[in-house]
Amino acid sequence: MDFSLYDFDPAIYDEMFVAEGEPREHCRAVVEALRELPDDDLSTIQERVTRSFSQEGITFTVYGDEEAEERIIPIDCVPRLLALAEWRELEAGLVQRIRTLNLFLADVYGDCRIVRDGVIPADVILGCPQYRLAMRGVSVPNDVWVTICGTDIVRTHEGFMVLEDNLRVPSGVSYMIANRKAVKAGLRLLYRRSRVQDVEQYGSLLRQTLCELSPGGRPDPCLALLTPGTYNSAFYEHMFLAHEIGAELVEGQDLLVNDGFVYMRTTSGLRRVDVIYRRVDDDFLDPLVFREDSLLGVPGLMNAFKRGNVALANAPGTGVADDKSVYAYVPDMVRYYVGEEPLLQNVDTRLCRRPEDLEYTLDNLEHLVVKRVGESGGYGMLVGPHSTPEERDEYAKTLRADPADFISQPTLALSRSPCLVEGHAEPRHVDLRPFVLTGNETRIVPGAFCRVALRRGSLVVNSSQGGGGKDLWVVDL
Amino acid sequence: MLSRSAQGVYWMARYLARAGYLSRLLELQVQFLVDRSVEEIHFGWKRIYGCMKRFPPPGEQFLPETDEFALADAFTLADDLTFERSNPDSVWSAIAGGRENARQMRHCISGEMWTCLNSAWLRMRDLEAVDIWRTPEVFYAQTRSEIHNFVGVADATMYRGAAWRFMRLGRAIERAQLAVSLLLAQIDLSRRTERRTLGWASMLRTHHALEAYGRVHGIEMTPDRVLDLLVADPSLPGSVLATVQAAATELEGLGAGPGVEADAAARRLAGRAEALILYDWPEASAPEELLERVNQSARDLHDAVLGAFVDYAIEDSPLR
Repeated sequence: MDFSLYDFDPAIYDEMFVAEGEPREHCRAVVEALRELPDDDLSTIQERVTRSFSQEGITFTVYGDEEAEERIIPIDCVPRLLALAEWRELEAGLVQRIRTLNLFLADVYGDCRIVRDGVIPADVILGCPQYRLAMRGVSVPNDVWVTICGTDIVRTHEGFMVLEDNLRVPSGVSYMIANRKAVKAGLRLLYRRSRVQDVEQYGSLLRQTLCELSPGGRPDPCLALLTPGTYNSAFYEHMFLAHEIGAELVEGQDLLVNDGFVYMRTTSGLRRVDVIYRRVDDDFLDPLVFREDSLLGVPGLMNAFKRGNVALANAPGTGVADDKSVYAYVPDMVRYYVGEEPLLQNVDTRLCRRPEDLEYTLDNLEHLVVKRVGESGGYGMLVGPHSTPEERDEYAKTLRADPADFISQPTLALSRSPCLVEGHAEPRHVDLRPFVLTGNETRIVPGAFCRVALRRGSLVVNSSQGGGGKDLWVVDL
Repeated sequence: MLSRSAQGVYWMARYLARAGYLSRLLELQVQFLVDRSVEEIHFGWKRIYGCMKRFPPPGEQFLPETDEFALADAFTLADDLTFERSNPDSVWSAIAGGRENARQMRHCISGEMWTCLNSAWLRMRDLEAVDIWRTPEVFYAQTRSEIHNFVGVADATMYRGAAWRFMRLGRAIERAQLAVSLLLAQIDLSRRTERRTLGWASMLRTHHALEAYGRVHGIEMTPDRVLDLLVADPSLPGSVLATVQAAATELEGLGAGPGVEADAAARRLAGRAEALILYDWPEASAPEELLERVNQSARDLHDAVLGAFVDYAIEDSPLR
């Protein structure tokens, strides 16, 4: 692989190089080995990896685009490397953060001490559309509200930062495993020599975690994965995970509630379901409690859940803790609930609901990233440095009309990692999404879905907007 | 097993069996275009359309009688039966339906099965029409071969649970219905032609039974013997009896379904179809009528299977 044209920029953190031509300590052996690999070999590996995704149907669905309904997330076969010591640091921060968020959720649906103690204004929580009144006073198994969390992490010269906590139905873990399988097959010797930490145990850890939620500790619980259906963009992942954890892949129409218990319709009759890993948003879970026009949910499901007869992972209402406004208060939450300094930093966030933050945002639009509180997937946001004056003027009007719906953050120089582009190495911006599982204890596999902005100069890593994937190797070198 | 998953696997098998059967029919039919008479070619098209219970596309209903038209017409008809998206029984639609059901039920089949089927689908999707029509028999043979591969891979890799049985049940019911429909179309058409032997040899080829016929009956080919072999020989995998028995075996292996009445009906229908062939067929004076009764039983069996395992009333079901 040719690194001679690699555009190293000292202003941006590079995951593989510490200076021009000088690999980081834990990347040295891999860079040397990649340099030895002929470009043709690596291009062949890249083609093989892409083809295997196509043949195995590892796809996601793009809404409203009938011609290209199933698409592959492009994968770059050059791995991103992380030293085991760095991973341990990140892992400790994630454990602390998820512990905090679970305590926060128990509190905001319980006594609301954090509001009474003036740490977070009441309107930030009560005004959040993801705050579910139906969950007030509800207790959840083992006090675990968030069983599966996918936290978006970026890195700059200042270190790791949390960009977003995804606490509702985070997706991407199947690509972590698929990317690993494909890249490992392509770079066998290099993989073996690099002492890469394994991620393939994710399925068994997820199963173990879900079983720990079994109502009343029922042994050998019946697990089901609730999917919105085949047209959901993450359907491949739903199917993959159901297979991995030995759960039935169910839709709302397959379930019914009888006398406060949930059953699924099987070929040998109705069978009781104990734990549901739901990949359906709160709004659609139960038409008797949330959106009454939902055809995806199960009437009476919330009643069964509140009576403790079925566990839901994640619990309804967790979205209040990954709201973009609430996000700004997570460091304060860590101090409040855990009594420690946060190990993982937030990106400096301004809430446009505050007049001074709104003014600052409007004055600095060309330097900031502005996001809608309720949007995700890279939609509805303005990336100031990449916008035109006309776009900023237009955006400013929307911002003034409803400031509470927006936050702003500085445009981060996301770290970069080498990618194979037309036969040689070029840097591209990356982030990573590790998956945190919480049952009786918190478990994290040493790996992540690493997203990469494949377009030169782009900072947008979302798969729906030209992003791709990379395998993340946590190496013990 | 989840009822909806069972239904998905069942339909996957039905669609793929249909695609394989139709590919075989078309493979032989396009081979005829090379050296057979116009009468024989027309006979073949009418038989295929009769079997699929479909009319040719508008404008093609009155088949022309000259060589040139017969050939030009053949590609319109082949296209209608192969790639026409609005024809739910075209090869394309059947493979798309099978693949879509497999995609939704990937967790119920082996990874090898999925990769095998998806690769076949991607190949077909990416073909250029001009390449297909240059050597259409190659296209049909390859499609059929890929479906045979899929069945073989399933045999080698799939767990012998309920999904396996529903898949085999779907395949057996589909094949029974198609074989009976084709036989009925053949009988009907041969009554209306002076050449009473027309089409019977290709019936054997369609069911991969030419060699078996030679082994059982020698070289002299008579319509009665061909019909007898294709209907009632239990050793021929594609015979009506073999497919009906396969359906009964899978039903037995599944055990009782929660829909009690439908379950009893399913077992009764499978038994009746088998009994009709085993006991009534040898003495049947009107084979067409008997085959119609088998056909009706196979159609009703489909409804009964879904009623027993999928669409049963909740109040009938035991809680587990």
